[in-house]
Amino acid sequence: MKRILLVIAVAAACGKSDDRTSASVATPSRSPSAPSPSSSLPPLEHSTAADLAREIADADRRGTWRELQHRWQGQTVRWTVTRQRLLCRSADDCNVAAFPIERPAKQGWMPQLTFAPGQYDAMSSMCGEQEQCEVTVEGTVRQLDVSPELPTSVQLSNVRLVSEPHLPRTRTARS
Amino acid sequence: MNKLVKSLAIAGITLGAGAFTASASSHREAPAIGEDQFADNTDVYAFISPNDPNKLVMVANYVPLLLPASGPNFYKFADSVRYQIHIDNNGDAIPDIAYRWTFTSQRKNGATFLYNTGPVDSITSQNLNVTQTYRLEKVNERTGQTTTIMDNVPVAPWHVGKRSFPDYEKVALQAVRTAKGVTAFAGPRDEPFFVDLHVFDLLGVGGSPTTDGVNVMSLVIEVPITDIAAGGVRPAAGSKAKESVVGIYASASRKRIRFLRGERPEDDFGGFVQVSRLGWPLINEVIIPLQDKDKYNRSNPKDDVANFGAYILDPEVPKLLNLVLNAGCAATPAGGRTDIVALLSPNGTKTSDMLKINISQNQTNADSHFPNGRALTDDVTDTLLTVACNNGSKISDGVNANDKPFTTTFPYLASPASGNP
Repeated sequence: MKRILLVIAVAAACGKSDDRTSASVATPSRSPSAPSPSSSLPPLEHSTAADLAREIADADRRGTWRELQHRWQGQTVRWTVTRQRLLCRSADDCNVAAFPIERPAKQGWMPQLTFAPGQYDAMSSMCGEQEQCEVTVEGTVRQLDVSPELPTSVQLSNVRLVSEPHLPRTRTARS
Repeated sequence: MNKLVKSLAIAGITLGAGAFTASASSHREAPAIGEDQFADNTDVYAFISPNDPNKLVMVANYVPLLLPASGPNFYKFADSVRYQIHIDNNGDAIPDIAYRWTFTSQRKNGATFLYNTGPVDSITSQNLNVTQTYRLEKVNERTGQTTTIMDNVPVAPWHVGKRSFPDYEKVALQAVRTAKGVTAFAGPRDEPFFVDLHVFDLLGVGGSPTTDGVNVMSLVIEVPITDIAAGGVRPAAGSKAKESVVGIYASASRKRIRFLRGERPEDDFGGFVQVSRLGWPLINEVIIPLQDKDKYNRSNPKDDVANFGAYILDPEVPKLLNLVLNAGCAATPAGGRTDIVALLSPNGTKTSDMLKINISQNQTNADSHFPNGRALTDDVTDTLLTVACNNGSKISDGVNANDKPFTTTFPYLASPASGNP
């Protein structure tokens, strides 16, 4: 019996060989194109990135990664973020700072944005030549990778601008 | 003197700030890898060859802070670890090429505890009881296609002492091999990273270069630049294209599962999982905080901004320097440290923790200094302290050079310290 279990364990372990992507994520993978939060969950449009950070910290203590992903993925959020030109160079390569300068940063993750048609150009036009500018955006949490093993990452899709750009936030201007 | 003391202490804060397990450039820098010494990346160097400007030299060091007199089981590479140097040649932070080392250990006589059973005057000496060989492969990371460059190549032995190796370096250099235009070396070398570690004694100042006299396990490779350039073409002189810069990082990976058995040696199973990586010096030590250090080692450079970008924009180091030592570092601007982001993104390449070096046709060895590659002589601690503090004045840890001179010929690193000098 022990040998059978051993063989099964080895077979399962040998199923994948990819040293760059093989560290497993504790949460189930959801189709990036079709997030579908439970209809019974309360909407999160008034929840900030800071709320998500607090829930991630809570999940880290309680091991509730799966619940966290289930609650947030597929929800619409409206966040005020800082767009740095160097880190948002094109519609296909855009990450933004979700938090004001904290001195120092408490979280490392910067949401990746996938824009609704025309919205990247609109943001670029609005921010102009500024190296960084603050904007409020609305989008769907397309993917939330959270686990005890891999770093947190957040992808927002169908992102639309909902505010004019203004100066970057200071420490006292929390989202 | 006070200035020196202050500068040394500043360095101590900086190196110690990220984690109390940190000790040097990337030696024992994260909790998990601190328990897995043989898979621990320590430093990566990349520079245009001083002997052939058409070739690039890459050095990946592993297994930190090795005492020379460490017998009877002297240090080597782990047979169970996959050691790799990855190269991105089109600026997307996704590696296109890897050089991969796979090691196999041998023993001639199991009935003795001796590493060598007599004086060793050649790398093929029958007196060399414990040996190790490797296979070097080039991997197309887009397709997975693997090509063997050389196989059954000897690893340079440990420098046991003067009785065992009357002329150690003569034997060690017999481990240098060339095949298909690629020159390679694997084995112990003098630790090339220089820093004062006495600062970990409650930020006290030792004033001495504490990495002197210890060794490290080195992989050194010199390759034609056309072997690694996008499309096999070296960019024209002065090119500003992304392809004129390659991004380099080293990694170590282990198989997922290890079975320990009473009746026979352990077995490793499953796909490989990355357990350590390194591009720039000191990123995981002092930029990434404790909560994410192990996660950093498991992740990939292409995701660095998404995963860790906020730590780069808003690093801890200058705040600690000001808080503890009143160092006068500049406050982080409201938009963050985009100056550091720019250093990680030359020629428009995607921001990531890769060591980036310009490979266009006008580049020579003289141009290869951090952050454009990294020469063995570069004082990266001073450079990064100065960048982090960002107040216009140079900050130094007071240790400005290695104890042993580097060589002008391959493998360029100094001979390792002897276990019995």
